[in-house]
Parts: sequence; C-alpha cells; structure tokens
Amino acid sequence: MKKAFSSIYMVIMMLFLYLPIVTLVVLSFNESKSMAKFTRFSLKWYEEMLGSRMIMSAIKNTFTIAILAALIATIIGTLAVIGLDAMTVRSQNILLGFNNIPMLNADIVTGIALMLSFLLFGVSLGYKTILFSHITFCIPYVILSVRPRMNKYTDTLFEAALDLGASRGYAFRKIIMPELWPGITSGFLLSFTMSVDDFIITHFTRGAGINTISTLIYSQVKVGIRPSLFALSTVIFAVALIVLLVVNILPGRRAKRAALEV
Amino acid sequence: MSELIRLENISKSFEDTNVLNNINLTINENEFVTLLGPSGCGKTTTLRIIGGFVQPDSGRVYFDGKDITDLPPNKRNVNTVFQNYALFPHMTVGENIAFGLRVSGKPEQYIKDKIKYALNLVNLNGFENRRIDRMSGGQQQRIAMARAIVNEPRVLLLDEPLGALDLKLRQEMQYELVRLKNELGITFIYVTHDQEEALTMSDTVVVMNNGLIQQMGTPEEIYNEPENAFVADFIGDSNILSGRMVRDKLVNINGVDFPCIDGSDNGFLPGREVDVVIRPEDIDIVPPGQGILNGTIISKLFIGVHYEMLVKSETGSGFEWLLQNYDSYDVGEKIGMYVKPENIQIMHKPKSEAEQAIELDL
Repeated sequence: MKKAFSSIYMVIMMLFLYLPIVTLVVLSFNESKSMAKFTRFSLKWYEEMLGSRMIMSAIKNTFTIAILAALIATIIGTLAVIGLDAMTVRSQNILLGFNNIPMLNADIVTGIALMLSFLLFGVSLGYKTILFSHITFCIPYVILSVRPRMNKYTDTLFEAALDLGASRGYAFRKIIMPELWPGITSGFLLSFTMSVDDFIITHFTRGAGINTISTLIYSQVKVGIRPSLFALSTVIFAVALIVLLVVNILPGRRAKRAALEV
Repeated sequence: MSELIRLENISKSFEDTNVLNNINLTINENEFVTLLGPSGCGKTTTLRIIGGFVQPDSGRVYFDGKDITDLPPNKRNVNTVFQNYALFPHMTVGENIAFGLRVSGKPEQYIKDKIKYALNLVNLNGFENRRIDRMSGGQQQRIAMARAIVNEPRVLLLDEPLGALDLKLRQEMQYELVRLKNELGITFIYVTHDQEEALTMSDTVVVMNNGLIQQMGTPEEIYNEPENAFVADFIGDSNILSGRMVRDKLVNINGVDFPCIDGSDNGFLPGREVDVVIRPEDIDIVPPGQGILNGTIISKLFIGVHYEMLVKSETGSGFEWLLQNYDSYDVGEKIGMYVKPENIQIMHKPKSEAEQAIELDL
C-alpha cells in the first residue's frame, strides 16, 4: 500500500515536471499552427527553423557568445583565484565578499547598470556589449568553483614540489594545474550554461538588430509565436538531454574500468 | 661528527607574535635531532626555515659552512617529509617517487632503479603503479619517505610525520625511521610534540617553548637532568616543587629536609630558592616512619605496567605526590616515602621570561 502510494506520488511529480516539455515537443511536430489540436505529424516547422536566417543567427550568437564568454571568464577567474591565494586572509575575505555581490544582485539591476555604463562611455550596444556583460557576470561563478580547489593542501603540494627541486613554474604546471582542473572545467560549464540561459541582462545590453535565442523568443511572443520556435526549443532540450546523459554515464564507466584495473 | 647545519641568532615573528626569539642551534652530520615542544613553540617554524619555506626576520642559516639563508627551497640539498605527506594525488606511487629525479633530469633507467631501491627500503615492493588514494595512511607515510630519500639529500626534515597514524603503527614506524637513518647515514631533523617519540629515536633532543630553546641534550640528559621546570614537566611525569638550599647537599622542600647531591659546586648556594623535580618512579615506598616523610594514599590508578598513586604528605602544606610503583597499595593506607639523593634534581628558578632560555655554547 505504502509502496503503491509512493510510486503514484512519483508519477504525479514527473508529470508536473515533464508534461509541459512533452507538450512542447509534441506541438513542434504538429502540422497545423494550432496550439490546441494535433492534426498530423510533420517536420515542416523544423524545415522553417533551419531556413530562417533570424533563428539561425540567434543560435549562432547564443553559442559563440556563450563559448567566448565562458572561456574568457574562466581565464580571468582562474587567474584571480591564483592571485587571491597569495593575499592575506583578511583581504581574501573582503574580495570574496565583493565577488558574491553580483551573484546575489537581481539580474535586472545588473542589466540596467551595464546598459547605462555602456551608454555613458559611448559604447554602442551590440554583439560586443552582450559578450562583455556575459563575461562580467560569469567571473564570480568561475571564482566560486575554482577557489575551493586552491587551499592549504594545494599550498603544501606546491611546497613539496619546490622541496623536490622543481622551479615555481614547473611546480605550478605539473602539480597545481591538475589540482585546479576539475574546478576550472566546472567553472567553464557553469559559465556556459549561465550565458546560454541569460535573458534579462542580454535584453538590456543587446541593442537593435541582434538576438540570442532567449531574446528572439521573447520578441516573437509579441507578434505571435510560430511553431518553428517550438522546434528550436525541442532541439535545445534534446541537446541538453544528450549532454546530460553523456556527462552522467561516462564518468561511471570510467570509474568502473578503474575499479577493474586495480 | 662534524657540523652540518648552524642557525645563528634566528628570530621570526608572524604579524604580532614572536615565534622564534634569537635561536642558536648546531646540528651535526649523521645526527638524529628532534625538535620537541608544545604546539606554538616554534619547532615547525625552525624546520621550515631550514627547508627554505620561511625566511627568518633576522639571523643566518649555514649549511656545510655556506650561508644559505637566501637560497630558495628548490636549491637546497635537503628534503622534507610533510605532516600530511603532501603526495601528488594525480600521480601513481612510482611517479611521486620519480618527481624529484625527473626534475633534475636523471636518465629513465636510473629513475627506474631508484624507485625500486626506495620502495624496497620502505618495504613497499611492487607498489609502483598503485594510485595514491588506494594506499593506507601508513603506506602513504612510507611513500613520502621514499619520495624524499631518492634524491639523496644530506638532511631529511620530518614534520610530525607519524602524527596521523595510530599508536601501534606509530611505534612500528619509530623503529623503521631509526633503521632508515642508520642505513642511509644522513642527518634527520624531526619535529614532534610527542615526548616519547623524541626520547625513543633521537641522538639529540632540543626542547623548545615560547620560541626559545629550553634545553638541548641526549634523551637521557633531558629526562634525568632537566634544566628547568618546563623541561621537567614536559618530558614525562614529574613532581615539581619549590625548595630552598639548606646547605651543600641538603635541600628543604615544604619544611622537610632531603639529602641531595647538588651544592655550591653547581652554583646552588645555601639559602638559594630552587625548583626541585622528583620523578614519580624514583619515590620508594617504605613502612611509615622509615622514610623521609609520611603520607596517605588518596587515589590509585592501574595504568598497565604499574600503579599510579597520589599521596598526600603529612608534613608541610599537604603537597600531593605522584608515585609510580609496581606494587599495589590501598587508598587510605599510610606509607613512608624515600628518595635517593641522586634522584633529586635541583634546578635554578627562572628569574624572568627571557631567562627561561639557557645559554647554549656553540
């Protein structure tokens, strides 16, 4: 009885979470434009999506900005962590406090503030300003994920490498970098998803004539949303799902193989 | 034995705390030296200054006659076994041991032989390809040793290397360390707060407190002839009392006269206030009235080999003596206590904080 109840509860939970997405996926294959009735299976909205210059350039913008912003933010953030490590605990705490503010700040405030700053300094809004803004809001997340990897233990490892005759540069490359890698990768991935996900800050810093996926969908809602955007959303969801599956299955396999070797 | 390392007037403070106050220390070749003291006494800082990880505020460090004060750690012919081992987690056991040799560009065949030799030395044959996180604490400790000694340092620095191991393993490793030291024929500088470890392994023990060297000597000297109350208290159990010299070879403790062997020859003039230390195992139990003073047993504890008892003396201020004896006596029993004159250690009272340090002749 108890078991049956808990499985029913699970099913209801899953329905709440995934039914909306299923609806979206189903409608993306609908032949008619209707959102209420499924007439016939068709791929025509996918064709329209691929044929639309607007959608394609939004995809391109979204992903080039996400990759560039994540890459640059990761480099800056990692360097910041290395710098922090050499400071006194007091200054570290002050700086890390400042680092947390942008993350807690409402996106809309950050967005408007960035827009005003760009206008104040006469920078015309466009691709570059979006990229710049994304780098700005990604850096704190990189610092947050790399920072815990740089600790007292890493300091001792560095000392141990020097003790064994390594130069500071060699010790850093061979000993510290491998320790930081997991933090750097997760910082990069976090930045990438934050950037792809962002709507509000992009909206305020994008200027006319340039769209990312999120701002495109928003602007289309005003003029009447077309099912080709359902197709786009389905593709994005599918990509995310595949990435998630790969990320979750691969390390498991690797761990199993490592366990077998021993 | 010739001099290998000399610390000259070393002082160091971190922010507002004086960690080391004008330390002078000479370490000879092929010596097992232990820096012993409570936490915060400056022992680890002294080790890190020798390793090159900490720069002294003033004073010089000499290695084999050459001034190495400004030399970075990677240019010094010493290697360290760190407290938490600091093994490189992403490398195998073999790669860890090979690190120092690869840095100095040794040929691969030589490195291979050396790894084998080092693993054999620490009883870990055939573990080259294991991952570090698959090794137990005791094994990691041995790998850290192996990684340090393959570089053939003249001095091995050990920073509380056994601190994380359980008692049984720690005692085993103590023997191993002494064996290793004798096999390698190099100098060991060992830091610990464990007095038993220090007494078991060392040729020379340096007792430190408050950034000052309190006493330096062989384990026997440190135990049997502590130079001040701190050393007596820190090394083993002891009864530390205030006393006054009555005349040569007679000291008054709490109103009772004890014959001793010190006198004006050692600078203990009649009438001088002194500290007296009597080890609990040096107090013999005799029938009441036949000893130097009488007392009543107020508590008894069996701690393995012997019984530990507290005895309240009848005379004087009722000082509670700590006694260790193989025989069991009942609580409430009246006993007499006798101490042989040579077991009474007379010490100068420290006059001020600064004088707690004894002058060491270099």
